[in-house]
Amino acid sequence: MNIAVLLSMVPDLVEELEIAPSGVALDTQWLRYLLSESDDHALEQALLLKERYGGKVTALALDRGEAEEALYTALARGADEAVKLTGIPEEGWGKRAAAAVVGAVLKESAPDLILTGVQAIDDMDGHMAGALAGILGLPFVGVTRSVDAPGAGKVLVQKEYPGGMAAEIEVDLPAVIGVLSAPQPPRYVPVARIREARKTRTISEREAPSVAAPEGLVIRRLFKPEPAERAEMLDGTPEEMARQIVTILENRGLVR
Amino acid sequence: MSPSGILLLWIVSLVALGLFAFRVRYLLGLLRLGRGENRLGGVGRRLAAVAWEVLGQRRLLREPAGVLHFGIFWGFVVYASAFIFSLFKGLLPFLPYPMPEEIGPVALALEVFGVVVLAGIGGAAFRRYLLRPPRLEQSRDAGVILLLIGSLMVTSLLSSGFHVVATGHASFLWNPVGTGLASLMVGGGLAPSAASSLQLTMWWLHMVLVLGFLAYLPYSKHLHLLASSFSVFLTDLSPRGRLRTADADGGGPDPLNARNFTWRELLNPFACAECGRCDRVCPAQTSGAALSPQKMVHHIKEHLLEAGPYLLRGTPRNGHYPELVGGVVSADELWACTTCYACMERCPVMNEHIPLIVRMRRYLVTRGEVDARLQDALTATSRYGNSFGQSPKTRARWTQGLEVPVKDVRREQAQYLWFVGDYASFDPAAREATRAAARVLHRAGVSFGILYDGEQTSGNDIRRVGEEGLFEMLAEKNIATMQKCRFDEIITTDPHAYNTLKNEYPEFGGTWPVVHYTELFDRLIDAERLRPARRLGLRATYHDPCYLGRYNGIYEAPRRVLRALGADLVEMPRNRLNAYCCGAGGGRIWMEEAAGVKERPAERRVREAAVLNGVGTLVVTCPKEITMFRDAVKTTGHEEGLMIKDLAELVEEATTPEVSGHA
Ligand code: SF4
Ligand code: SF4
Repeated sequence: MNIAVLLSMVPDLVEELEIAPSGVALDTQWLRYLLSESDDHALEQALLLKERYGGKVTALALDRGEAEEALYTALARGADEAVKLTGIPEEGWGKRAAAAVVGAVLKESAPDLILTGVQAIDDMDGHMAGALAGILGLPFVGVTRSVDAPGAGKVLVQKEYPGGMAAEIEVDLPAVIGVLSAPQPPRYVPVARIREARKTRTISEREAPSVAAPEGLVIRRLFKPEPAERAEMLDGTPEEMARQIVTILENRGLVR
Repeated sequence: MSPSGILLLWIVSLVALGLFAFRVRYLLGLLRLGRGENRLGGVGRRLAAVAWEVLGQRRLLREPAGVLHFGIFWGFVVYASAFIFSLFKGLLPFLPYPMPEEIGPVALALEVFGVVVLAGIGGAAFRRYLLRPPRLEQSRDAGVILLLIGSLMVTSLLSSGFHVVATGHASFLWNPVGTGLASLMVGGGLAPSAASSLQLTMWWLHMVLVLGFLAYLPYSKHLHLLASSFSVFLTDLSPRGRLRTADADGGGPDPLNARNFTWRELLNPFACAECGRCDRVCPAQTSGAALSPQKMVHHIKEHLLEAGPYLLRGTPRNGHYPELVGGVVSADELWACTTCYACMERCPVMNEHIPLIVRMRRYLVTRGEVDARLQDALTATSRYGNSFGQSPKTRARWTQGLEVPVKDVRREQAQYLWFVGDYASFDPAAREATRAAARVLHRAGVSFGILYDGEQTSGNDIRRVGEEGLFEMLAEKNIATMQKCRFDEIITTDPHAYNTLKNEYPEFGGTWPVVHYTELFDRLIDAERLRPARRLGLRATYHDPCYLGRYNGIYEAPRRVLRALGADLVEMPRNRLNAYCCGAGGGRIWMEEAAGVKERPAERRVREAAVLNGVGTLVVTCPKEITMFRDAVKTTGHEEGLMIKDLAELVEEATTPEVSGHA
């Protein structure tokens, strides 16, 4: 089975985010990028499938921030091929445009299964995976916790619903799956293995095909939420703070 | 002796030696499965080690029971030498010397040691079979040796008695036991002629027993009699705090096997006397974790003997070689080690447990088998250069609002480059001590600077969890950064950083002198650049950090500083090289609580300090310990009675003129 995993780089929240002078985008100058967490799980899921049933795993990423690092790590973890899509505009694309570009690439390589994270911190509403399925005209299941491939031509996915329900769904291949988590957490790859991959493996680069994709969305303003009312911070020793809390509660008539 | 007797002796000797040599050759073959490692330089120091540890039994004599072993050991030496002379005289009767027991002083020595050894054996048997101390494994081998040595002593003492009866040469001076026994025998009606043949029987019995033992030795745990002297001679002469590099530790499909270890590492289990000393001092073992260093070493031997034949032939058993990790050694036990060095400090045969453990941890890391918290720490470290997962830009946040300037040594020259380390930079409690240290240095007029966001974690503990590649990356980055700075010496408050900077960075090109802040404070007080303005009227005890004490031998500097401050220093029962680890080292601080732990090492240690008469302060000199011990005083309910203080905080207090206490 040929599996393609789409990896997206998202801003690393360890650094403080700044808004660019344009007022509609993040200031990318100091931004560091990190592999989106559920994409990390999608990769793990792909590698688990490969280990169990054989096949080939190709990791694919749009060239942004430390995408190369993520791709070498994917190779070190066991991916067979890594592809970097270059020629991405400075300000990036919206999810729909990105999905259109990736869709065009995947249409050519026509993998049996496309895995990607179901959401990312810059895609909390989970556009990417669904849009990709739509563009490719393939079946789509999102928020999965495991993907198995016991028979040919289809996969068996598990997803959970609120209210303590879980479903097992059979999906005909080819298909796009939006992974929430792999059955086991992404494995650790020792640094030596990544360094080794950097020396011995290559990432193939591909110019991102130009596809016309109307975004339909325009960011008007990006801003830090203004707190409605300032919270009152207490400080002092634990005893002092406890006393203050008691006073506040008393003043509001909550305790007597 | 008759010619046929001589022939028989030749045959028995050759058979015994043949069996012995056959086995030893096989065992050497097993050792040769390991990778190469040079342990032959520094012969003088090696011989000195043998003199101290083998002949002088130094480590054994650190505890009272060591006297028993000392007696047995030297008795054994005397007997073995006498035996060799005796055997050669028997094999080659024309040799121009008498039988050893015919020489007065030798006979006396043999008799005295015979009695001493019998008493020692009696004591050992009593302890082993009647008292049954928990850490001694009951084994057939142990029984066999007690019986054997006992029989040797009895036969040789009886022989001496028969000799006196047969020859009539009674001498209370040279044969006190023999003469005593002889008078009993004569009293029992033994004729000189019968005595003479009985003496010969004893002699034969003696020879056959010893030769039998020689053949049996390399097949039993008593191999340590043979291997331990080599183990001591082949000890590691490089600094204690330097781990060997990983070389080509194989990941891949091949399970960890003998080929991943060096031959010297494989020698450890053969040298082990199964004495249990390592277990008794091991913080993991004594707190209930899965690790027993003694069993681990033993299990490596079991594995080697099981897998060895297949490895030697190069043909796997049913498709693969028996597995070591996950087989006889569990991942849990490997992760429980704090790399505190207590076992290695104590082991009388100078076994090297930590390199074995790290070797196996490296294998687990290669396979990605690390627990979730450790994985987070490793991932964070490789990404941000610190295990806290904080932005590198916040590393020097502890300097904000500090009353004294802290140079950026990347821009400005300074005498000392202060390598701050992760805990001292990011941990809130440790940060206070770091700030105190900065103020003290400033007060003493020391020129120092830090690397700000250019510093990455030193990697000491990263290396010890087995992430060798990450360690190398960190060392290379730090060295490259420091090479661009102008300074004379490195100073650090973190013993872990101290250890790797001093002992391991030189192998990567970073060869700067390194001092621990306790050493520098000591010097500054000595030079009167730091003047205690008032005496701290406190009764305190001091905890030796493993990486400062056992690893680097710095025991006295912090104590001198404490005394100079006027503190009344009371030692815990386990101090200096016997200090009990706080449990944070070797990457344990990043991991889940080890399974099975009943009482954490830090809690045991705090209890040890808390019962000292009138002691209200536990002084630490390691940023990790502040957190470890502050937690432990809470969980043990000693929060009121025992304060945890960093030495820098006390120095600051004592050198501050006004009484307010805090600067
Ligand atoms: S280094 Fe310390 S924790 Fe590790 S095995 Fe030795 S005594 Fe136990
Ligand atoms: S490793 Fe050393 S201390 Fe431990 S049981 Fe063996 S000989 Fe004794």
